[in-house]
Amino acid sequence: MQSEYMYQLLTEMKDGDQQAFQTLYDATYQDVYRTVSFLVDHQQDREDVMNEIYMQMWTSLANYDSNRPFHFWLHGLVIRQVQRFRVKSWRRFRIFERIRAFTREESHWDQPAVLMDGTNQMISQAIQKLTDKQRMVIILRFYHDYTLEEIATLLDIPLGTVKSRYHAGLQALRKKIWNLPPERMEKINDY
Amino acid sequence: MTIERKIREHLHETAETLECPPAISKRIEQSYSHYLQRKRSEKTMKKRLIGGIVAAAILIPTAAFAAPPLIEMLTRTPLTAEQVKVDEVSKATLEKLYSAFPETKSFEIVDASNVQGEAINPKDSTDLSKIKVNQTSIILQEKGGTGKKITLHINAGTGEIEHVDQENWEPKEKPLISLTDQEIKAKVDNLIEKMYGSVNAYEFAMEQMENPDQKVLMLNYIIKGAEKPFYQVFVHDNAINLTRVGGEPAPSHIKVEGLFTRDGKPDYTYDSILNDDKLFSLLQISPTELKEELAKGQSVADIAASKNISKQQVLEVIANTQVEKQLEAEQNGVVPKSNRSKEQLLKDIEPKLLLILDHKNETPSN
Repeated sequence: MQSEYMYQLLTEMKDGDQQAFQTLYDATYQDVYRTVSFLVDHQQDREDVMNEIYMQMWTSLANYDSNRPFHFWLHGLVIRQVQRFRVKSWRRFRIFERIRAFTREESHWDQPAVLMDGTNQMISQAIQKLTDKQRMVIILRFYHDYTLEEIATLLDIPLGTVKSRYHAGLQALRKKIWNLPPERMEKINDY
Repeated sequence: MTIERKIREHLHETAETLECPPAISKRIEQSYSHYLQRKRSEKTMKKRLIGGIVAAAILIPTAAFAAPPLIEMLTRTPLTAEQVKVDEVSKATLEKLYSAFPETKSFEIVDASNVQGEAINPKDSTDLSKIKVNQTSIILQEKGGTGKKITLHINAGTGEIEHVDQENWEPKEKPLISLTDQEIKAKVDNLIEKMYGSVNAYEFAMEQMENPDQKVLMLNYIIKGAEKPFYQVFVHDNAINLTRVGGEPAPSHIKVEGLFTRDGKPDYTYDSILNDDKLFSLLQISPTELKEELAKGQSVADIAASKNISKQQVLEVIANTQVEKQLEAEQNGVVPKSNRSKEQLLKDIEPKLLLILDHKNETPSN
């Protein structure tokens, strides 16, 4: 969808146009939800972050830089809210929930088991085991196909830092996948 | 297949299976219609900020925060500017405001409302105790200019000002939050002094709230020895939100400033000791009279003598008050325990207080 059109929708939405909100929501929520799901493990947390992202959307329109594509701005919102969520100490209220979650650590991503073969599960788990910072870079790079420069701008960190997180993340993933049984390795390499 | 490609494919495949639960969409839709409602009632800014601030305030266990958002849940009855002007309590408050900030006389009353009823005022998450609420709110705004705005929330029963919000008093290019901590404190001190009286009786603490998106400072003014802050102030953007939390009533003995002066300025330490209700009743003198007498260059001991009261009697009264305060503070854990008996403390403090009783204000040399 065109950035200009999206910006127009945003403005209408901010002024109170329910229809504009609906259109914009429908056009974005899957992408936003999936990104959040990759970055935030628990369902309840995802819900909170999603809500914050959209609330941010109609309150911080003034910060929209119309020179940049709409999705870039949107992903900026997503990232800031995810980061904010991590930093925020109100998470302490969730301690109880987190303890509970620890006991079923392996089932973070709610993927239907049928669609997942062993290799895929292995990759999922490997990505989850990355640090939050590495994971953020890996998702932006491979899910959203941003260049490392763009990621640096989005995360507001130096390019060098992005590169080092990117390489460290990849290396960690490689290591995990090296540990696959030999027949799986063949499968990965036979393209 | 390279690992990069594998990861990319994997992520996209996984994403296909991730469906946003309808509950989330529903919740966001609700958030949006809340936003619309607030926008329509043209109070978006205020409520959103207070909401955010309260959320932040919960994080600090010592911070007792009076509950404007709870009050908001009750229905407000709008008042017209005329109604405000005839209402005794509002009129008195406006007078006070006008004398504190003369420029506000030209401000327009842009909104006013009253709310009455019972609001839940929980002490903890399970508590459902209620408080009676009767609050009048008046919002004044400067026409043109920087749009200076001041909001007063008044207890319509007692006439006490419960909250003051001051917005846009600094130029837009240099909002309040960009000033240094000292400058900010000076602004807040000034607001409290004008609306409530001297801040010197309070201990002060400032901290920055944990809020990465927006700088928010919290300033607490606490009566020495009290646990809860007396004034709690949040400074963010270009606004000061002042709440009289009032863990304890304002000290009734802080009545007069400048009983004692040093280099022409009030000596607050001496002042706070002499502003003692028991002393006033012993000497049968009003605080203002005492100030006048002292200004003539007499000492407290002289005044007592003229009323046939011994210096020792005066000493006992004020020493007792000071020691009780000290013991109470120790009891509350505000100051470390000295493990001294009341008698010992009284003995220790007497020579210090004698200096005060004999102190004479420098009189004008002419």
